Amino acid sequence: MVHNPALAEHHGHHIVPKRTLIKVFVALVFLTILTVSVVMVDLGPLNVPIALGIAAVKASLVVLIFMGLKYDSPMNALVLSIGVLFVVLFLTFTLFDTAFRGDLGNVAPETIADMQRQEQALQEREARLSGGAAADTSAAADTSAAAADTSAADTTAAAGADTTSAAP
Amino acid sequence: MAPNIQGAALEAHHTAHHPPHLKHHFTSSEQQFGAAKLGMWLFLVTEILLFSGMFVAYAVYRVWHPEVFAVASEVLDPVMGGINTIVLLASSLTVALSIYSAQTDDQKATVRYLVATVALAAVFLIVKYFEYTAKFEHGVFPGASFDPHGDYARYNIPYAAQFFSIYFVMTGIHGVHVVVGMVLISIMAFRAHRGHFSSAYYTPVEVTGLYWHLVDIIWIFLFPLLYLIH
Repeated sequence: MVHNPALAEHHGHHIVPKRTLIKVFVALVFLTILTVSVVMVDLGPLNVPIALGIAAVKASLVVLIFMGLKYDSPMNALVLSIGVLFVVLFLTFTLFDTAFRGDLGNVAPETIADMQRQEQALQEREARLSGGAAADTSAAADTSAAAADTSAADTTAAAGADTTSAAP
Repeated sequence: MAPNIQGAALEAHHTAHHPPHLKHHFTSSEQQFGAAKLGMWLFLVTEILLFSGMFVAYAVYRVWHPEVFAVASEVLDPVMGGINTIVLLASSLTVALSIYSAQTDDQKATVRYLVATVALAAVFLIVKYFEYTAKFEHGVFPGASFDPHGDYARYNIPYAAQFFSIYFVMTGIHGVHVVVGMVLISIMAFRAHRGHFSSAYYTPVEVTGLYWHLVDIIWIFLFPLLYLIH
């Protein structure tokens, strides 16, 4: 076996310098600290993309320098890229399904058409009540109907009270 | 033209052009080395797809119940997760330095860095051990045994069990990969100690290093997704 230190280079193996490896490590530690710090700030819908973005930068540093993909045959990079592409497809199409299934827990005895009709009737009633002069007669009709209801209720209550007191 | 001179010349020719590690179906060391790396990259893609199954399960459940995931994630200590992240990053550095040492014929350094990598992996597993036992003590188990009590009683909410099952399965299978990596790197350290590797041939160290870097990359994604949910 030949013990020539330069043999690796001679055989076309790229040697990543020690300083580069250490610099990449320091960058990775810094990005880790950044990941944790960013959690303190709430950026709403950007939270996940930013966390994943920083993770992707860290992964790229490991892949390109530590794993040597930057200096390797492009075939290895192609293999990795296709693998990552399939992961993206997997995630995307699965979420197309699961993220848009709607409320499967919403079960009621009325049909959807019935519920929609009730909803519409309620909305119309609200529109009439909050409506102005144009809806005068209907509003009065509503109030008089409400008054009739109240008086009828009073009579019933009085009759009930009478019955109760009459009974021994 | 004496037979022994011819034999000696053939012998020298043979060693120069067919070093002991070179298999005969390869035309050169470079080609053999390249083929080994391509083979490992193909295997690593299968590993990425293995973990992607779990990452997709995570994504589906997080999209369905984002507020539950945010609450349940509070159980996970970002300090311990952060320490484990730095530990694995350091182990990637040490395994890269072991390859550098092999490339520059520093046998002792090769062994030292490989041993350091195994030691850092052990630290990772020890931290995980403390994390897991802290959960088990409070009834946080994967699957049907999920029964948070005591300090963790407030995590007894619908779909929290799913978060923790996903947490245990993802970190568990990652942990199995760490253990496998420790075994392989230990074997490499032993072989390096025995002088099997040099700048002419260090392929097993190289491909083992590639595997180990992927284990690190998986954790790089696991850490923010599990520990750092707002």
